[in-house]
Amino acid sequence: MKLTSRYEQTSCRLVLEGLPDLSAGHDGQTLGILTGFTLALAGRTELEGKREHLLALMAVVLPYARHLLSGLPRAFGAADEPVAISPGDGGSHTLELRSSQPGTPPLSLQLDDAELADLVRCLDQLRLDPRLALGLAVSPTQPLRRRELRHRQPLAQRLAAPLAGAGTLAVVAALLALLPPTPRPGSSVAPATAVTRAR
Amino acid sequence: MDDALSTPTRPLSRRGIERLDLMLLCAEALDLNGGEAMVWLSEEMGFTTLFPNRVELWKRRCCNPLRRSTRRDALPEPEADALIRILIALADRLYPMLRSLLSTAEPPAITEQRWALFRSRLAELLRERFNLRRGGVQRLLDPEQGPALSRELIQCMAFSAGPGGFDRLKASLMDAS
Repeated sequence: MKLTSRYEQTSCRLVLEGLPDLSAGHDGQTLGILTGFTLALAGRTELEGKREHLLALMAVVLPYARHLLSGLPRAFGAADEPVAISPGDGGSHTLELRSSQPGTPPLSLQLDDAELADLVRCLDQLRLDPRLALGLAVSPTQPLRRRELRHRQPLAQRLAAPLAGAGTLAVVAALLALLPPTPRPGSSVAPATAVTRAR
Repeated sequence: MDDALSTPTRPLSRRGIERLDLMLLCAEALDLNGGEAMVWLSEEMGFTTLFPNRVELWKRRCCNPLRRSTRRDALPEPEADALIRILIALADRLYPMLRSLLSTAEPPAITEQRWALFRSRLAELLRERFNLRRGGVQRLLDPEQGPALSRELIQCMAFSAGPGGFDRLKASLMDAS
């Protein structure tokens, strides 16, 4: 009772193969056990993997796309994980796939924006497919906090306002220091008292 | 699988509203029928209680402070969500065009022509509807900064296209400003 689910978008084709998990009460059309998947990207060699590779792919590519939306490209995928993605040269994106076979060098694929968008759409289709019951949960997407967004602005631009404020304060203090001192209160009151007594 | 965003309920940031409206404007720049498509999608997706007609839809977009006619009202979350869903549906329809602009596999001369046409249409719409004294609008119209900024908008649309893009785009529009 082999089941196949296929997700395609222009340069990307993702095919999942598996079986229904009858012990979990799945019907015959629900893919509950993943036996493997293949991923064809941008006309390159077809890649194969198991559940942990698919999870790793989703865990790095989707957050990477999310950060691109906020104008904060950054790398995802630790050195010991099977998949990593990072900003490449000239606006490209480097997808690195590390084999579990010892001695096999990692495969590095350069994707442009269009190819990455195709991959993201395939993963979105997979995530939202009601026929799958694979528990491929991804972390909830969160808005970025101010400190995470700080690095989007160049340092000079971030410091401009506080430096301008400090500079203005210094100029005002210097101008105030140049003003003549105001007369003391005691010297202005004494003559009026003397006039009153004389009357 | 549910695509609901699991974040505290709060309105879009001011920058988020600007970006949302600018991306809707990009959809109109890419497709001459984009405005009509927006109204049609709003009806098809069941948003007529929120936007009974095109004027109400336009009023919500005018919560964007960069607009020439801008409204001080906050954009309530149900209406913001509806506009986001309309945008990602538009981006889904326009995905082949978005992709062709972003692809490095296309001949450079053709790609440059497409970008030039898109930018000129976007500039027309900006001059017609937006406040030209605002810095954000001036940067989009600037020959030096405009191309990179408009490319970012197209990139955002491509990465948000389709139902799966909702939570990703909404989270980004809710980033602290």
